[in-house]
Amino acid sequence: MINRKITLLGPEGTNVTLLIIFLLLNFISWMTLFTLSDGLNLDLQNSLFRQMVFSLLAIVVFFMITFISMEQINKYTFPFFGLITILLIFIFATDPKEGVRRWYDLGIIDFQPSEYIKIAIVLFISKCFVEKYNIFYVGMLSVFSIALVFFQPDLGTTTLLIVITLSMFLVSEVKTRSILFLTLLGGIFFFVFLEFGLINSYQLSRITDFFNTVDFAQSQSRLAISSGGITGQFFEVDKINQIFIPVQSTDFIFSAYAYQFGFIGVLLLSSLWIFFFYRVAKIVLSTESDFEKFILAGFSASLIFQIFINISTVIGVIPVTGMPFPLLSLGGSSIIATAVIFGIINRIFIENNVVI
Amino acid sequence: MFFQQKFRLLSLLIGIIFLGLLSNIYTLQITNRDSSLLSVENQTLDTFYIPSPRGEIYDSNNNKLVSSSLEPHLFLNMRKVNSDNQGQYEQYIKYNFSELEDSFIDELFDSSSLLVKITNIQNLNFDSRQNLASLDAFEIFDYPIRKYEYNNIASHILGYLGEPTFEDIQEFPLSENSNIIGKSGLERFYQDDLAGVPTKIIFKDEEITEIIKGSPGKDIFTSLDINLQTLATESLLQGINLANENFESRRNIQKGAIVVLDIRSNEVVSLVSLPDYDPNNFVDGISRTEFNKLNIDGAFNNYPIQGQYPPGSVFKVVAYWLAEVENIYPEGLSSRNGRIDCKGSLAFGFDDGSQQVYNDWKEDGHGRVNLGSSIQQSCNVYFWDIALKIWREYEGTTAEAILQKYAKNLGFGSMTNIDLPYEARGVVPDRDLFEDWAISQPERVRPEGWLGGDLMNLIIGQGAITATPIQVANAYRTLISGKLSSPYINKDNQNQSESSIGATEDFVNFLLKDLNSVTNKGGTAYASFQVLGNKVNDVGGKTGTAQNSGDKNNTSWFVGIDSISNPRYIIATVIEEGGSGSAIAAPVTRRVIQSLRGMEPTPVNFGEVTE
Repeated sequence: MINRKITLLGPEGTNVTLLIIFLLLNFISWMTLFTLSDGLNLDLQNSLFRQMVFSLLAIVVFFMITFISMEQINKYTFPFFGLITILLIFIFATDPKEGVRRWYDLGIIDFQPSEYIKIAIVLFISKCFVEKYNIFYVGMLSVFSIALVFFQPDLGTTTLLIVITLSMFLVSEVKTRSILFLTLLGGIFFFVFLEFGLINSYQLSRITDFFNTVDFAQSQSRLAISSGGITGQFFEVDKINQIFIPVQSTDFIFSAYAYQFGFIGVLLLSSLWIFFFYRVAKIVLSTESDFEKFILAGFSASLIFQIFINISTVIGVIPVTGMPFPLLSLGGSSIIATAVIFGIINRIFIENNVVI
Repeated sequence: MFFQQKFRLLSLLIGIIFLGLLSNIYTLQITNRDSSLLSVENQTLDTFYIPSPRGEIYDSNNNKLVSSSLEPHLFLNMRKVNSDNQGQYEQYIKYNFSELEDSFIDELFDSSSLLVKITNIQNLNFDSRQNLASLDAFEIFDYPIRKYEYNNIASHILGYLGEPTFEDIQEFPLSENSNIIGKSGLERFYQDDLAGVPTKIIFKDEEITEIIKGSPGKDIFTSLDINLQTLATESLLQGINLANENFESRRNIQKGAIVVLDIRSNEVVSLVSLPDYDPNNFVDGISRTEFNKLNIDGAFNNYPIQGQYPPGSVFKVVAYWLAEVENIYPEGLSSRNGRIDCKGSLAFGFDDGSQQVYNDWKEDGHGRVNLGSSIQQSCNVYFWDIALKIWREYEGTTAEAILQKYAKNLGFGSMTNIDLPYEARGVVPDRDLFEDWAISQPERVRPEGWLGGDLMNLIIGQGAITATPIQVANAYRTLISGKLSSPYINKDNQNQSESSIGATEDFVNFLLKDLNSVTNKGGTAYASFQVLGNKVNDVGGKTGTAQNSGDKNNTSWFVGIDSISNPRYIIATVIEEGGSGSAIAAPVTRRVIQSLRGMEPTPVNFGEVTE
């Protein structure tokens, strides 16, 4: 239990390492966007300025979430999961944008509930596991919310949610072979649906195309990463300009980063994340609360597989899925959702008296 | 229960995946770097431009005159079309878009462009669009649609669009990319503002690799009043029909112009040119026959600023002003009130002793006239007397061109610099010009050069002088406001330079009173204005009937003022070969004035024939 007063700043209020990592990752995003834009402009059309505004918001969110105790989080898990699920249902009543229903238009910003189902599902499953709810119902409810995302359609987030759910089931008392069996069964159902036309084959064309043709964005992205070399183009005098990658500031930002800062940059970014996950894993093994263990495992899985899917996409080993790189990609929804995760993790650190 | 052991195993698995990814990146960045740099070097990128929506154009009451919108269009990526699949795409287009002509479809496939626009697919539903997009060579992009909300009305002010020619590109280098340019009117004058920045579509070989969004053009807020413009167009058409009914002319009369200027600001309120055209017809390209027909009719000329006509008696205000400022009156008179006896003709002696007789349009003369009544009745003899006085006093000296100097001070002979393209400057003839012409265009001048008779012609707006309707309107505006400036349509041009001509308040009051006498009882235009009832006391104008060389009928002129007590608008009307100014142009102008003053406009009726 917590035995200290929570304050906004300073070593007694927050885990310093976590905060520094969070700020550094934001800073790396700014550096990368700086190389992609025409410098900083105090205009929301300017991607660097946009991201800076989002980062500031994210820091505020990070501290606000820190004020919520784990007891309260536990209390509000079901309402939160219910709310996000309802939002995912009502999204089918909105007008599609470019053929998908994924956002609520809130004027200046778009609200994307699928970013928050990533958090809600982790909290939901954790609470269910700890309070010993019927595993079958837990699984069915999770599959239901994942299905809502699938029909938006949002293949990337669907994949991620499946991976998060599987990871959490894998570290629970559920037998590993039952999980593998159910996964296999799900896969078979999926292809049966596909066969009967219940799933728009358009969604899958990207996957089938992947095995037939080389995606242009991916091949360009590979060239960009490769051109980065050891030290990157950022400090080079003669820069290479002949590379064009779509969505370079969002889903393909890692290739821009690797292009600008080279293999050294990649190692630096990896080290920051590895250090972060190492700290989290240590708490997982040391905390006494199973609720916290499951949450930390789920959030880690969420962040790790976002990063893996994103990197795999930009280096062309899996089809393009549209997955942002947490805290690196330009985009408000993703950065705020990640700040919520960091905020909850920070709270767990504090409640376990881990300050540095 | 949380299983730590499984957690450790899972972490290990994740670590292995991470190492796999890292080694992949290592191979890319370290091992394959050189070969990658080589392939980057060998890449070529091409760009295709899609125009952004042009700025919209509004009138002074915020009525939208020209609107822009984006609608999805189907494009064909020509680099993905080859001999194997061309037939397939042709069939597909023919089958799905049966409204397209076969010849058009054939031409599509001959294009050397990266992308060709096939058709607007605004009305296709999402699934059909998705089906189209699933074919490899089809692309869907938003393409701007331009709509001229009032069709033919104000077509010459707004202009029309077309593909840029080589010359267009030299004048507006940016237009090369968007492949659309304003060919005339505001569309051309403000081309760079209206066009915005086109969207760039970047190609690497046959693949579209990046789309860099452009930005729409700037809107233009004009001083026009579209309702008045509509009424003026209608009135001019009535006048033209009236002229066709009442005058025998070899040709069908169809050309005319109206200019309405705001006296205070010099804003252009209306600018009518007939015949006109519908700019909407140019949006998707116009057929050659249609274009040629419009061209032969002269519909592309903007007569208010490009029509160069002898101004006739409307030019007499120049001498009127000169007389008042320089105190030059007919021989024997010393003020505006002194009268001469107009017997209907004037004999003028040449240096060699021979005589030439000049006849006024009214054979038995106007009787005893002073400066004011010579304007009222448009007496030529009074003004010839002024010309004679100038000639006798200054012949051969630099002061000989004093009338021309006054004309030029009012803007004759140079462009008004209105914000429209292709303005004509007109001609103010003098001895120097005739000497130039004797060399360059000897058929236009007599071998004797500049003579007193030429000055006599000039003072009544005849002979070699030509002026555009906007010059005439602007000259009257200059006299009444006392300031010379450029008329403008775009309200952004508000703060422009003005130069004072030093007209006294007394002079302006006399001028207004004398202009009123023209439309009042006893004036040349009274017949056309008497429907105004007692309001004839508060309007004014000047008639003009300019003779043309050859077998052409006279040019019909009228310059009107909406109010004498509170002058707000100048209206200049011209009907090419329309005949008498008082009979045709005057009632057209009267109808416009009725509208400006909030009265019910009455039909254009034939007025009294004067000159």
